Amino acid sequence: MEYALLQAVFLPLLLSPIAYILGRKVGPTPAMWFTFAILLYTTIIVINAALSGTVEEHYPWTEQFGEFGFLLDGLASPFAIIIYVLSTILVLYSKPYMIHKFHEQFEEEQKENPSSSGSSSVVESSALSNYVNAKSGLYFALYLVFAMGMLGTVLATNLIEFYIFFEVMLIPGFFLVALWGDGPRRKIGLMFLFWTHAGAVVLLLGFLMIGLTIGSFDFADIRESEIPQDVVLISAIAIAVGLGVKLAVFMFHIWLPYVHGSAPTPISALLSPAMIGIGAYGIFRLIVEFLPATFSELSIWFHVWGLVTMIYGGAMALMQDDIKRLLAYSSISQMGYLLFGIGSASTMGLAGAEMMYITHGLGKGILFMMAGIIIVKVGTRSISKLGGLAGKMPITAVCAVIGALTIMGVPPTSGFMGEWILFYGALETAIAEGSTLRAVTFGLGLVATALTMSYMLWMLKRIFFGKTPEHLENVKEGSWYMTAPMMVLAGFTIVLGIYPDIFLKGIMGYMSGVLGV
Amino acid sequence: MATEAVGLPFEATSTAAWLVWILPFAAAMIMPGIGKLSKQATGYVAVGFALMSALSAASLLPLAVEGSEIHKQVMWIEAIGLKGGVLADPLSVIMANVVGWISFLIMIYSTGYMKGDKDITRFWFWMMFFIGSMQLIVLSDNLLQVFFGWEGVGLASYMLISFWYRDKKIDHVGQEGRTTLGLLDYYAPTHAGMKAFIMTKVGDVMMIAGMLLIFLYAGTFGFKELMGGTEWAVAMSAEGMLVPAFVLLFGGAIGKSAQFPLNEWLLEAMTGPTAVSALIHAATMVKAGVFLVARIGPIVFALGAAGIMADQFFEIVAWVGAITALLLATQGMVNPEIKKVLAYSTGSQIGYMMMALGVAGLSHQYVDGYTAGFFHLISHAMFKASLFMAAGSLLHVVGSRFMTDMGGLRKSMKKTYAFMWAAGLGLMGAPFITTGFWSKDAIFASVYTSGNEWALPLFAIAVLTAIITAFYTTRMIGMVFFGPKSKHIQKMEEEGHHIHEASLSMWVPYGILAVLTIGIGLIGLSTEHGLHHMFEVYLEDSFGIHSEYAKAESSILPDFLKGINPVALGASLVAFATGIGLGYIFYIGRWVDPVRFVNSNIFFYSIHKLFLNRWYLNAIIYWCFVVAPLWLARGVFRYFEKTAMDYGMNDGFQKATAWGAKVVQGTQTGVSQSYLFVFGAGLLFVVLILLM
Repeated sequence: MEYALLQAVFLPLLLSPIAYILGRKVGPTPAMWFTFAILLYTTIIVINAALSGTVEEHYPWTEQFGEFGFLLDGLASPFAIIIYVLSTILVLYSKPYMIHKFHEQFEEEQKENPSSSGSSSVVESSALSNYVNAKSGLYFALYLVFAMGMLGTVLATNLIEFYIFFEVMLIPGFFLVALWGDGPRRKIGLMFLFWTHAGAVVLLLGFLMIGLTIGSFDFADIRESEIPQDVVLISAIAIAVGLGVKLAVFMFHIWLPYVHGSAPTPISALLSPAMIGIGAYGIFRLIVEFLPATFSELSIWFHVWGLVTMIYGGAMALMQDDIKRLLAYSSISQMGYLLFGIGSASTMGLAGAEMMYITHGLGKGILFMMAGIIIVKVGTRSISKLGGLAGKMPITAVCAVIGALTIMGVPPTSGFMGEWILFYGALETAIAEGSTLRAVTFGLGLVATALTMSYMLWMLKRIFFGKTPEHLENVKEGSWYMTAPMMVLAGFTIVLGIYPDIFLKGIMGYMSGVLGV
Repeated sequence: MATEAVGLPFEATSTAAWLVWILPFAAAMIMPGIGKLSKQATGYVAVGFALMSALSAASLLPLAVEGSEIHKQVMWIEAIGLKGGVLADPLSVIMANVVGWISFLIMIYSTGYMKGDKDITRFWFWMMFFIGSMQLIVLSDNLLQVFFGWEGVGLASYMLISFWYRDKKIDHVGQEGRTTLGLLDYYAPTHAGMKAFIMTKVGDVMMIAGMLLIFLYAGTFGFKELMGGTEWAVAMSAEGMLVPAFVLLFGGAIGKSAQFPLNEWLLEAMTGPTAVSALIHAATMVKAGVFLVARIGPIVFALGAAGIMADQFFEIVAWVGAITALLLATQGMVNPEIKKVLAYSTGSQIGYMMMALGVAGLSHQYVDGYTAGFFHLISHAMFKASLFMAAGSLLHVVGSRFMTDMGGLRKSMKKTYAFMWAAGLGLMGAPFITTGFWSKDAIFASVYTSGNEWALPLFAIAVLTAIITAFYTTRMIGMVFFGPKSKHIQKMEEEGHHIHEASLSMWVPYGILAVLTIGIGLIGLSTEHGLHHMFEVYLEDSFGIHSEYAKAESSILPDFLKGINPVALGASLVAFATGIGLGYIFYIGRWVDPVRFVNSNIFFYSIHKLFLNRWYLNAIIYWCFVVAPLWLARGVFRYFEKTAMDYGMNDGFQKATAWGAKVVQGTQTGVSQSYLFVFGAGLLFVVLILLM
């Protein structure tokens, strides 16, 4: 198809005003279906393009920066598909959750401005519906831009273009958190903006060093040119640090529990599985592919850094009482797996890391949706106040178990397929190099999976099993808008766990090409 | 390859080998739907599918008789070039039948045992999922696929242990309020399930490391491929990786089969419904570890012919088995809960099997220990499943898991009484009439004659364990069926409960298995010889392991015991007599009061306390791997994450910026003189630099 990727990226952006108007004038449901339709269409485009192999599109841009292009290859297509599939599915989930949130905020504002509360209930209800309409219009518009930013980043073929998309996904993200988050949302929104923006600036420094040295920002040119050694090392480190903030690896992770804990749950479910993993995409594309020599020097650092993140995130997840913060720390730990796999510097390890991105997207998506259903239906997010919910919300419980199994890496979920390939890669390099450090890292990494299992099972036990507290007697299952998306993802993770070739073929093809084996 | 044309009237097909494990999975998949339509139908569907799966397994029997095999592969993960497939050889066919038929009987039992449970659909789902996963382990032709089944049974086990997830008091195990080293020895089902899953995961972590090591050198997970060449083993042993890889693989078996030091989860696993304990934690899943060792053991042993020795592997297997056998048997002597006694016994008996399989690799007659271990697996699966199901009936009727709440039941539950004796005699190894005797005797013989440096100590442990086994089995039967009725039962009868026999669907399954224990026991020796011959052919054909035919030595034994080792025979007779005699004195004849006996002197008292506190192993594991890490994580969270990271990098940065802004703000005085002054100073500075 002509302009397929161009459509896939820009259609959501161009049509987002319509979503806004629809929401404002008509109501949340049409806006939701409209958003869903756009994203479904673009998802189909992306999947269709991915099926036909590598797709590349180039459009003229400015002279300074080079071409504006899109590239969908073995590396980018799993990222692109997961980003858009999650975005599409979460549109449905957004509606009930966000309406719940709007109602809450409306009541809050009513309390703050008691002047209007004297009016009759009829006026109030129309005021409420106007409020909901206006907010949902804005929400879906921002949502579309957010999705588009993520996709653009993984398809970009130019450093500047990459940077622009990287920042584009940040802005709607900031607004979504600052407008509809929980807790001190404006402060947390700003924290998100500052941290990731600071990371992006460091990233930009790295880009500029490379781009100005070779005189072009195009990926194609970078791939072919020889960059002086000193420039490469510094810029690689700058890029790694910049992307490390996005990945929320150890030492740069502190923003993530706040943001994922506070963001509206559908957005958490996008931020955590889809967005932060883009940092890993960046490392693949920019460091592994473009700077292979530097990568092989740095890989052991990535490896150990990944291990520390895995263990640290897991240990902190054990200590959380807020469901969403627990999941956020779990995401940090999972990003550690990704970095661990990248650091293994072998075809299988890299492929495993990318499989982990997919699998974490599916699993953590399910788990965040679980958290959202509990927030909406139970009204609390504190694990200590929950218990015995399996009997009250069976579908959520089943999906949550599947999601947790995916994160734990238990077959037949896709988590296992990611994990064993990842660890095989780590072992391969450890043996090939005869490195004790790598061997120890491999062993500790495997042990960390037991830690992952511990916090996940403990979470399940405290939420779904055990005695039901009295205040939970009347809890009901979430609506179909909320459960159906979970079920889709749960089915997908099992299919992928049994038949990983869907993604693995493309990934292996790309990875073996990159490392030149 | 057919060596003997015994000829069953049908032929084995590869379709059957697939169906054996696909059918139960299919049943699991449709179970939620059926549960929506009719709760009652779920039981019939489950039993029906279990029967079909068992029949498919039975249709593979010609392979075992003829000593041939079916190996079918399909492309699985093309990206890495991995194939999946089924491998039905004598070993897996026998195992598939043991699993298939025992699960079928337990499914029938479950229809009675779980009657009226409102979550019955979930129960059947996980039971069928379990059978499917277990048969997948048995019939897979490669390690990766085995691992799928391996984690599948672990998952089903987790889900079924915590099946009664509402954590009612009656579903707990342990005595309320009892502590060991300051930790509660009282577990809720959900806690128990989690403990089981995480503890076995530790084993699985080792297993996957071993698998990956083998894959790294061999480039395959396939058993047939591993049998086919020795290059991979040469490369591995050159780098000293061979023994570690297989020991790591054995780590998976340690976890799954509840062997020392990962044995502690099995006791808490008793929180599950008794049907689950019978199927998963006695007859099948915990045998998966033994099966794995039986699968990989010959591969390792056959490498000996190529000059690659891996004796340490077999030594570790044998010693882990021996330690577990003794460790768990001692604890079985003192525990007051009937299911826990059986659980201790299960772990202990699996220790025997491991010992036999380990010793086999250290001797010249690999097939002896191999047959002994596997024969014991079969006989144990029968009598232990029977004992568990009978214990389930008792629990059902009495409503308590404590044997001290039973007593004097032999009149009111005659059938259960009889069957429990039959199966119990199997466990004790009652001479000449039970399968347990023949299989245990075979283990004794193979340990005794293995001719390596560990033979005697291992033999001593085996005999000691046998004495203890006979003792605790007698104790169990004595406490449940003999003596006066307990207060609990008297109270029940006063309240109008009639203590009665369990329903037909419950006693028939364990009756069948108890009768089989005796029935096969009567022809035990020829069964053993048949199995021995079958494995001889199998090991020869598939692995090239030759067995020397023992010359018919002149023996002091009568003719019908031909081929039995006299020392082993004597030891098992003495062990049986000693154990049952002691048990009789304390619990059936009740000539000595056990409580007073234990309290009579400090030595017995402390030994009793040590056993009752599980050798403090459980408490130590909890302190080291649960309490300490949580404490550490809490410390890091409180004093590093919250302060250094959170405060330092968020609030600290914010404050520093605000302070910096104030400083800068302070310079904005708005007084032109001060600006001029700074400007002048700066100019002077620049001029000075230029001058220098």
